Amino acid sequence: MEQVKPIPSGLAHSLAYFFERFWKEKVFGCQMCGQCILKSTAYVCPTRCPKRMRNGSCGGYDADGKCEVYPDRDCVWCKIYRRAALLRRIEALREFRPPIDYGLFCTSSWYNLLKRNIDWVGHSQRRQADTEG
Amino acid sequence: MSAVQADVGSKQSAGATVARQEGAASFREVLDSEKFIVTMEMTPPKGTDLEPTLADAEGCRGHVDALTVTDNQSSNMSLGALVLSLRLKERGLLPILQVSCRDRNRLALQSDLLSAAHLGITDIMCLTGDHVVLGDHPEAMPVFDLDSVTLLQVARGLVEGHDMVGNELKGPAPRFTLGAAVSPGSEPLEPQLLKLEKKVAAGAEFIYTQAIYDMDRLRSFMEQISHLDVPIIGGFCFLKSARGCQFMNNNLAGVTVPQSLIDRFEKCDTSEARLECSIEISAELISGVREACRGVHLMALGWERHVPTVLEAARV
Repeated sequence: MEQVKPIPSGLAHSLAYFFERFWKEKVFGCQMCGQCILKSTAYVCPTRCPKRMRNGSCGGYDADGKCEVYPDRDCVWCKIYRRAALLRRIEALREFRPPIDYGLFCTSSWYNLLKRNIDWVGHSQRRQADTEG
Repeated sequence: MSAVQADVGSKQSAGATVARQEGAASFREVLDSEKFIVTMEMTPPKGTDLEPTLADAEGCRGHVDALTVTDNQSSNMSLGALVLSLRLKERGLLPILQVSCRDRNRLALQSDLLSAAHLGITDIMCLTGDHVVLGDHPEAMPVFDLDSVTLLQVARGLVEGHDMVGNELKGPAPRFTLGAAVSPGSEPLEPQLLKLEKKVAAGAEFIYTQAIYDMDRLRSFMEQISHLDVPIIGGFCFLKSARGCQFMNNNLAGVTVPQSLIDRFEKCDTSEARLECSIEISAELISGVREACRGVHLMALGWERHVPTVLEAARV
């Protein structure tokens, strides 16, 4: 039987949330998805994509790589691709990313990593086999 | 389910000059055949009367191998794709159901896939879907709980007999033939190629392209994906006028109608001349796609009645 760990809460989480948001929002435009995969997307946040795509771009960008939803913004995934090519991190883009665990949305990735709600890559680990019986 | 399937099997083609074998039970059979595949897009109406749409589909019986049924196309609300797919199936036509991640979360998507399987509709195209801001309800919540790659994986999981969190399905597992889409006209192209590789790895068995008019571009795209063992169906929308071409260039991401084609429309001054020009261009495009791809997909945009003429002109 599988168990799903509860949504993070409490004082320690609130503190982690506050400090993580404080700088990540300014630096990366962080959306506090609580399952940060910035490492594998060349430090461009994919959650800023209007479709929150994690596995790569959709077909909705125009000839100069602008998003069709926000025509004044670069397509997040074109940006990720460009920067990953520069940093030689294209291989990480080939890996499969599971869908967002919305139980972790608006929580702290740092806290979640510490509590093993996510793994090092940023994939949710809340669903776990019940080892106690 | 059995009643529907029996019905489908018993229907025979009425036309005497049928070019295509009918009654393929699934798109898998069509893909396994040697022939050049021809499919057409059907868009459910914004309303409850399906008769005109079904009449359009009937008009193409024997000319196309399958009909893709759009799911709130371009984020414009319409009657459900599953219903039109069922009605087509009942008439012995082969529907390919498009499932978009825009409007439903993971529960609803899996539930709808199971419903489709129950109704005998097993050819599924997994799409992320256009964003709601492009359609007629731009105020709507854009769901995008899954993306096309995860939807393909989820559907593959259902085929293996479990839902996306591993719960077992009761009874026989559905048997889907799964497809996906790619935009070969997008610039930069590399993100599209990466995504396409992921889609094929996730279980896509056929790939439809976004509308493409530049055949050199299509050929170079096909060369770049030659390492992928997956049939590609090249698609295009019927061009109807110079203004329509301009509209596509300005509003459809990844779609470019070359100026040479627009110029040809500008020389036409009557609607008959424009129709003739459109048929001629479509026939040329089909020939171009035929050289590069496994099949062609026609998006007639209301000109479904002209599809047989176009196919005749293209000698398909």
